[in-house]
Amino acid sequence: MLQIGVQTKNVVYDSYPEEGFALLKRAGFSCADFSLNGYLLNQNIYQSKINSFFDRSVEELEDYFTPHKNGARAAGITIHQMHMPYPNYVPGGSRELNDYLWNVVAPKSLEVCAFFGCPYLVIHGFKLAYFLGSEEQEWEQTERFLDFLAPMARERGITLCVENLYDNLGGHLVEGPCCHAGKAAERIDRMNEKYQAQVLGFCFDTGHANLAGLDFEEFLTTLGNRLKVLHIHDNDGISDLHQIPFTFTKTRENRPCTDWDGFVKGLKNIGFQGVLSFETAPVLSAFPQVMKADALSFLARIGECLGNDIFAVR
Amino acid sequence: MEIIYAQSGIISVLRPGQGILDVSNAGFENILLDFSRFCSPGELEALGQTSQNRAGIRQPKSSQISKHPPELPHAARPLYEQLQKAGLSTPIARAPYLKTDTKRKDLQELLFLLAQESIRVCGEAGCASILIDPLFSGIDKSREWDANRDFYLSLAPLAREQQVKILLKNQCRDIGGHLTRGICSDPEEAASWIDKLNQETGEERFAFCIDTGVCTLCGQNMQEFALSLGYRIQAVLLRDLDGHRESSLLPFTCSGFERSGTDWLGLMRGLREIGFDGSLILDFSTTAAGFSPLLRPQLLQLARAVGEYFQWQIGIEKNMKEYKSRVLFGAGNMCRNYMKCYGDKYPPLFTCDNNEKLWGTRFCGLEVKAPESLRELPQDCAVFICNIYYREIEAQLRDMGLSNPIEYFSDEFMPSFYFERLAAE
Repeated sequence: MLQIGVQTKNVVYDSYPEEGFALLKRAGFSCADFSLNGYLLNQNIYQSKINSFFDRSVEELEDYFTPHKNGARAAGITIHQMHMPYPNYVPGGSRELNDYLWNVVAPKSLEVCAFFGCPYLVIHGFKLAYFLGSEEQEWEQTERFLDFLAPMARERGITLCVENLYDNLGGHLVEGPCCHAGKAAERIDRMNEKYQAQVLGFCFDTGHANLAGLDFEEFLTTLGNRLKVLHIHDNDGISDLHQIPFTFTKTRENRPCTDWDGFVKGLKNIGFQGVLSFETAPVLSAFPQVMKADALSFLARIGECLGNDIFAVR
Repeated sequence: MEIIYAQSGIISVLRPGQGILDVSNAGFENILLDFSRFCSPGELEALGQTSQNRAGIRQPKSSQISKHPPELPHAARPLYEQLQKAGLSTPIARAPYLKTDTKRKDLQELLFLLAQESIRVCGEAGCASILIDPLFSGIDKSREWDANRDFYLSLAPLAREQQVKILLKNQCRDIGGHLTRGICSDPEEAASWIDKLNQETGEERFAFCIDTGVCTLCGQNMQEFALSLGYRIQAVLLRDLDGHRESSLLPFTCSGFERSGTDWLGLMRGLREIGFDGSLILDFSTTAAGFSPLLRPQLLQLARAVGEYFQWQIGIEKNMKEYKSRVLFGAGNMCRNYMKCYGDKYPPLFTCDNNEKLWGTRFCGLEVKAPESLRELPQDCAVFICNIYYREIEAQLRDMGLSNPIEYFSDEFMPSFYFERLAAE
């Protein structure tokens, strides 16, 4: 059976992390996606409002996260994946800001990831095609960043995972970096060959894929074993809502308008053995607080159901 | 590069006279011969079904063509003859096609017959190309290529006989009402289809038409799309929409948050990079339907201007190449963008500006001079206005008695951009 995970945001709190992990376990999860990005929010980064969280030394960060690590262990939750704060480069941002994101936030994220014994760290590719003129040139910049991180990742046994992203054109969410499975596969192979280690993998985000109308089955099948982690969530095809899978329908027939069949087939095609991990923190702020445990249990049940389907069609 | 108007929304099939007049008066010279006007997606959907009329008498929902495809030439002939009489050409046609969310899985044979008849009319009407959508409904994903290979190769001999090129088009796939990437939406796959079909027919019988509406519905990067298909792209179906629902709006009319939601930048970049010189098919039937018939002549004029704008933007370098020497007018962001993207290839002699504080200074490697210095230019040196106050500046230069060619430069769709704009000009 595939393991099931969910992000820690809106469940695990700094003041009493062990309770959050215990809640996840009770709900039916065995893994967690640690929301490191919650400590330096993307909207603040874009506004150059950088807090002092990552000014801490590595030792201080480890001290800070020791209760979290212990809480997860006590609850029997594995920190399977982690999300680095993003973006790591702000076009038009000050040199100081971008230096800090690149040279401080990113390496320290790797240290935190290693501290948790977490094998996968999800990062966002740079969104620069508009300025630089092409996706290829955009990737070159992302690759420079990966080249900076790869030796550290190899040393710590961490696989960095790039994620399919969206971009925003006048409110219309369209494909962004890493939306081409063939290119992603080639780049991942090249990087791993270069470093002679699994320094780079892929994180398939179902919600982002849905926004860009990607063919889930085709995409996943092309990625093959380069797919390391998942961000499972749903939306209406219009906004990045991070909601419960199977929630959205658009016609009187009331069939899901997200390609969950293609998702299951794709994972089946590649013999996926990873974790079915949900990125659904907004669900927990949408439901009444008293239903948090129920909402989490429901998500875990959906994970179980998806897992059964993946095995059933194998 | 030619502009073709997709007739739907303006030219009535039953009474085409006024529409043809409006289109002709707006300056269009080419019309898409759209056979779906004689056998619509709605008609195909309703084929075999009956409905009750007001008198309660049950009658078939469909007209003659879907039941008798050989009637298509007869039905279409009066329209294209009238178009020809008005001096309008029909370089490209479009065969009848199904709705994206069709429930009909049984019409493959009929679509083949309709495509055949459409090709025959193309031969008669002198259409050089015909858009024939890939078959999708009722075809298992694993058989998409095989089914379409058979479909297109069966049409190829007739297309050869009639000297018509078949254009494939990207499609959406309907998943519970959400339009996602369908057949030929992966540009690399589409390119391989075209190549294999041409290889099997032993000639360049097949090419591609990008539907910008489908790209937008699928959130696709149109630059990458165009680059992957390259020279195979012979037409672009230009239409705008909101990114979520099927419609055909006039390009640039669907914007949100002060910016278009359609990847026009990617399209321009991609088409420029591949040196596109094919057909731009303007489809704005949804926009036209919303306008009063009284305003349609003006709408058509705007549409033509939009088509010409695309033509100009895609071929922007052509304009610069035309002149042996050039100067710029303006020493701000637009000048900076010119120099970044074209400064090496088409170096200006200098730039000038109305701001006298800048005279004698240098900007992006160019000397900034007073407008008066333009009087010393040789007659064939063009002045490229690099400032959005184009018409005002042009009037100023003409009032000065300058007779040099005056051209507008635009940095709206540049090959690349600076990360930051200069402080307010």
